[in-house]
Amino acid sequence: MNELIPRRGTVRLLALLLMAVLLLAAGCGGSSTSSKAPGGTAAPAEKPVVVALGADTRTLLPMKIVDMTTYQQIRNIYDTLLTRDPKTYALAPELATSWRALDDKTWEFKLRQGVKFHNGEPFTSESVKVTIEKILDKSWQSHYYTRFEMIDKIETPDDYTVILHTKQPSPILLLRMQGLLPMPPKLLKEKGIDELAKHPIGVGPYKFVSWTKDEKLELEANPDYWAGKPLIEKLVFRPIPEFSSRLSALLAGEVDVIQNIPVSAVEQVNSSGKARVESVPSSRVNYIALTNFKPGPLSDRRIRQALNYGVDVDGIIKYVMKGHAYRMAGALSNINPEVNKDLKPYPFDVAKAKALFQEAGVDPTKLTLTMDSPQGRYPMDKEVAQAIAAELKKNLGIEVKITYNEWGTHLDKIVKRQTGNMFLLGWGPALDAEGTIGDLAVKDRTYSGFAADPELQKMIDNARPIVDPVKRKAAWDAIQKKVYDEAMWIFLWQQEDLYGVSNRINFTPRADEEIEMWRATYRK
Amino acid sequence: MTRYLARRLLETIVVVFLSLTAVFLMLHLTGDPVKLFLPTDALPAQIAEVRHRLGFDQPIWLQYLRFVAGAARGDFGESLRYGVPALKLLLERFPATLELTGWAMLVSLLTAIPVGVISAARRNSLTDYVGIIITVTGQAVPGFWLGIMGIILFSVRLGWFPTGGRGTWEQLVLPTLTLAAYTAARFARITRSTMLDVLSQDYVRTGRAKGLAERYVLYKHALKNALIPILTLVGLQLGQLLGGAVVTETVFSWPGVGRLLVQALLNRDFPLVLAGVFWVSLLISLTNLLVDLAYAWVNPQIHYG
Amino acid sequence: MSEPLPATGGAITRAPSRIWRRLSRHQAGLVGFVIVLVILLASLLAGILTPYPPDVGDMVQNLLPPGSPGHLLGTDQLGRDVLARILYGSRISLAIGVYTVVVAGALGTVVGLLSGFWGGWLDTAAMRLVDVQLSFPFILLALVISAILGGGFRNLIITLVISTWVMYARLVRGEVLAVKEKEYVEAARAGGSTDWHIIFRHVLPNVSTPIIIVSSLQIAQLIVAEAAISFLGFGVQPPDVSWGLMLADGRDYMMNAWWLATFPGIALAIAALGINLVGDWLRDIWDPRLKV
Repeated sequence: MNELIPRRGTVRLLALLLMAVLLLAAGCGGSSTSSKAPGGTAAPAEKPVVVALGADTRTLLPMKIVDMTTYQQIRNIYDTLLTRDPKTYALAPELATSWRALDDKTWEFKLRQGVKFHNGEPFTSESVKVTIEKILDKSWQSHYYTRFEMIDKIETPDDYTVILHTKQPSPILLLRMQGLLPMPPKLLKEKGIDELAKHPIGVGPYKFVSWTKDEKLELEANPDYWAGKPLIEKLVFRPIPEFSSRLSALLAGEVDVIQNIPVSAVEQVNSSGKARVESVPSSRVNYIALTNFKPGPLSDRRIRQALNYGVDVDGIIKYVMKGHAYRMAGALSNINPEVNKDLKPYPFDVAKAKALFQEAGVDPTKLTLTMDSPQGRYPMDKEVAQAIAAELKKNLGIEVKITYNEWGTHLDKIVKRQTGNMFLLGWGPALDAEGTIGDLAVKDRTYSGFAADPELQKMIDNARPIVDPVKRKAAWDAIQKKVYDEAMWIFLWQQEDLYGVSNRINFTPRADEEIEMWRATYRK
Repeated sequence: MTRYLARRLLETIVVVFLSLTAVFLMLHLTGDPVKLFLPTDALPAQIAEVRHRLGFDQPIWLQYLRFVAGAARGDFGESLRYGVPALKLLLERFPATLELTGWAMLVSLLTAIPVGVISAARRNSLTDYVGIIITVTGQAVPGFWLGIMGIILFSVRLGWFPTGGRGTWEQLVLPTLTLAAYTAARFARITRSTMLDVLSQDYVRTGRAKGLAERYVLYKHALKNALIPILTLVGLQLGQLLGGAVVTETVFSWPGVGRLLVQALLNRDFPLVLAGVFWVSLLISLTNLLVDLAYAWVNPQIHYG
Repeated sequence: MSEPLPATGGAITRAPSRIWRRLSRHQAGLVGFVIVLVILLASLLAGILTPYPPDVGDMVQNLLPPGSPGHLLGTDQLGRDVLARILYGSRISLAIGVYTVVVAGALGTVVGLLSGFWGGWLDTAAMRLVDVQLSFPFILLALVISAILGGGFRNLIITLVISTWVMYARLVRGEVLAVKEKEYVEAARAGGSTDWHIIFRHVLPNVSTPIIIVSSLQIAQLIVAEAAISFLGFGVQPPDVSWGLMLADGRDYMMNAWWLATFPGIALAIAALGINLVGDWLRDIWDPRLKV
C-alpha cells in the first residue's frame, strides 16, 4: 500500500469514483421525479389541510381496522351507523336515524334516505347487511368478528330498515353499531373486496384520492355528502413517527393538526403565532393496576386501599400533568354517561395508609414493589410512573422498581400476566361501564389486571345481559362502588387530550379521539 | 479470479443464510406478535385462532423449515401489518434509502477528504486542531440530537427547509447533512492519519527533496495513495450509513427502509424484519465484495488466490 | 524471558516519567488527558459535589431554568436537579463504556487468538460468525437484541458486547497471523514451547497495544451508542440515569426546556472528545500506523 500506484490504477480509481457519483445522481434524479405527486394543472385555492399522526394507516378497508390511528383516517371516508354526540357523548344518529329494541334479542334500525356512496351507488339496508355478513364470514378474518358474533340473523324488510336478531340479550350491540362502516354492496359483488382495499368507496364526507404508504393519504371533499360538502377541500394525513418532528412541523406551518401535545409544550405552541392548543377531556382513563393474580401483598384489599391513600394524585395532576387531567374517583371517568356520581376520590391521607398497612400486618418500609410502564404511549406516562414511585417512597417508604417497556412488550406482559405487582395502562375510548370494568376486572379477559372475587364476578355476570336502561345503570353503579372499595387500581385520572391546531383552521377535538375533519373550517 | 469470485459468492450466501437463521431464532424466542394485531378487547380464543392461522402455534423447527423453504424462493411471507409481500414492500422503500445514503456518502467524501488532507498537511497547527475538534465532536454527537437541533434551527426558527418528508430537494438537505455528519467525521480522521502515514514515506520525501511544489507532492503523490484505504472504508461505512439511516429516517419521517425496519421490529412484523435482514446483509456483503474487486482492479499488485 | 519484545510500532514504555514527557509534548493528548481526569473525578465525587439525589426531586420545583437558585443547570420535568443527574449519570455512562470494552475485548481477544493461532475449522467458523455480524448495521443489531432482552443497564451491556466483540476478534486474529510467521515464534516452537506458552509470551504482548488503543477509542463510541439506543427506547431504566437517557428523555422538551437535552449532550461531547484525544495520543506514540 505504501508503494506508488501505477498510473493506470489512478485513472481507474478516479473512473470508479466518477461512476459512483454519476450512478447516484441518475438514481436520485429518477427517484425524485417519480416520487412527485401526479398533481393537477390548476392550483388549488387553498393549500391542503394536513393532519400528522404517529403512524400510517394500516389498511384502507373499513372493517379490517384494528388500531385507532387507522380508524381516525378511514373514518373520514366512511360513515358509521351510529355516532356519539360531540357534547354529551350519548349515542346519536348518523346513517341510522332511529333505533329501538323490539324485544330483548331484536333490534330495529331505520336508515337515512337519499345517501349515496362515492361511486353513485345508493346506500340501503343491503349495504348494512352485506357489511355485517362480511365481518361474520370467518374466512375474511376481520378482527371485528368477536364484536359482532352475537348477531344471529339480519333482516331487511325494506331498503331503509334493518332488523338484527341476537343469539342472547346483547345490549352492547348498540355500541357496536358505532364502529360499523357500511361498504358498497354492488361494487363488492362486481369487483370484489380487493378493489375496495385499493380504492375505498364510502358514503363519508371525503373521497379517496391516493395513498402512498408511509408518506401520505390524500382525500378530497365529497360534494354530494348528505350533511353538506365539507368546507376543507383537500385533506392529507401524514405519518410522522417522532414526536418532536411532529411538533416542529406544526410550528413550521407544515401541518395543521397534531395530537398529544405534551403538557410542557402548551405555552410554547400558544405563543408561536402559528398554532394553538385545543383541549378536550378524553374518554381514555389512566390507572395503575394493582394485580392480585398471584398471592402477594397486593392480594390484600387493605394494602391496595393504602396505596390509594398514600399517593398525592392531585399533586401529580397539578405539577406533573400541569392540570391537564381530570381526577376520577372510581374506574370510570366523569364524562362517561354511565359513571356512578356518588363515588368520591380516595383522599391523600398518609396516616390512614400507614394504619391500613399496620392492620394488614405489613411493614411498608420493608416492602419492594415492581411496576411496569409503557413509554410515550400516554401523556407523560414515563414521568407519571416515576412520580408515583417517588410518592410511595417518600410517603410510605415503599421501594418501587420501574421497568419501561416498548409498547408491544408491555401489552404482551399484561396478557401473559408477567408484569410486576403494578402496571400503568390507559383504557379507551371508555364511554360505557361494561366495556371498561367488564374487561378489566375479570380474570380471564385479555388485558385485565385484576381477578374479581366471587361476589364481584357474580355482580358483573348478572349485569351484562340487562337491557332495561334503568336497571342496567343501577347494576353497574353497584359494581363501580364495589370496584372502588376493592381498590383494584390506584385510580388516577381521565386524560385531557391536547391537540395542536394551526391558526388557519378551526378544529374541535373529540373525547373519543376521532378526528372529524369535515367539521373543521378555514379561519377567515 | 473466477474461482475467487465463486468462493466469495458462496460465502456471501452462507453469511446471509446464517444472519437470517440467527434473527429468525431471536425473533421467535421473543414471543409472537398476534396481540399487536388484535383489538384490545380480543378474547383468548380469538388470539389462539389468529396464532393458529399464522402458524405461530407450530413447533419452532417446523416454522423454521417453512421459512427457509419460502426464503429460498424469495418469499418471506406477507407483512403482518400491511398484508402485502414483505420483500416487495421493502424494495419499494429502497430507492428512498438509496437516495439518502447516496447523497450522504457523497457529501461526506467531498467534505472529509479536503479537511483530512489540509489537517495532515499542517499537522499540529491551529487548523489541524480545529479540524480534530470538529471531527471528534462530529463523532460524539448522537444523530438524533443533531437532527432535532437541525429541525429546530433551520425549519422552525429560520424556515429554510421542511421538517421532514420526501419529494423535493429541500426535504433532502437536513436528513443528508445529519446522516453525513458522522461518516464525514470518520472519513476525515482516516484521511488525516493515512495522509500522515503516506507523507512520511520515502518517495514523498524524495519528491520534496527534488524541489517539487508542495501542492504537487500533496495531491499527485500522497493523496493518490491515501485514496485506497478510503475506498475500502466507503464499503465498510455503508453498514454504518444504513444504521444511521434508521435514526435519521425516523427523525425526518423519511419513508425508507430504516424506518420501515424499526417499525417492523416494534410491531414484531416478523416477515418484514426477516426480509429486511436478508436485504441489508445481502447488500452489505455484495458491497464488500465489490470493494474488494475494485481494490484489486485499482491496484493490480494484489492477487487473490 | 530474555529475548526482547518485538515491536510492531514503537516499543511500549511503561516508565511513567517517559509517558509524561511524551504526553506533555503532545498537546492534544494532554488536553484529552485533563478532560478524562476531570470527568473521572466528577463522577467519583458526585455525592460531594451536589446535595441532590439523581432520582428523586421536588415536583413543585419542576422545569426551573439554569441559574435558578440552588439549581445551577436547572431542574427537569419532575423537579430533579439536572447537574446532579449529569454527575451521577456519568457513572453509568462511563461504566457502560468501560464494562463493554473489557468484556467485549476479552471475548474478542480469546476468540481472535485461538482463531488466528490454530486456524482450521475453528478459524473458518469464527470468521464466518464475524462476517455475519459485520454484515449487519450495528444499530439494527443492537435494536434486535434489545427488543429481545429488554432495556436496563445489564441488558444494555450484553447488547453492546454482542454488537462489538467481533471487531476485537478480527483485529487480534490479524495481528496473530502477522506475528505467527515471525522467526522468533518459529524458533520458540522449534524449541519445544507449548502453544499456550507462545500465545502468552509472544503473541499476547504484541496484540495488547492495538487492543488498548482500539478500546480507548471504542469507549467514546459506546457512550454515544448508548444514547442512540436510549433514543429508540431501550436504554437504562430508572431510577438509574445516564447521559444517553437524559438526552433521549429531554428531546421532547428541546423547544421549551432546552437545558434538559443540551447539558447532557455537551457532557457527552466533551467526554467523547477527551477520550478520543487520549486514544489518538496512545496511537501516535505506540502504533502510528494503526488505522482505527
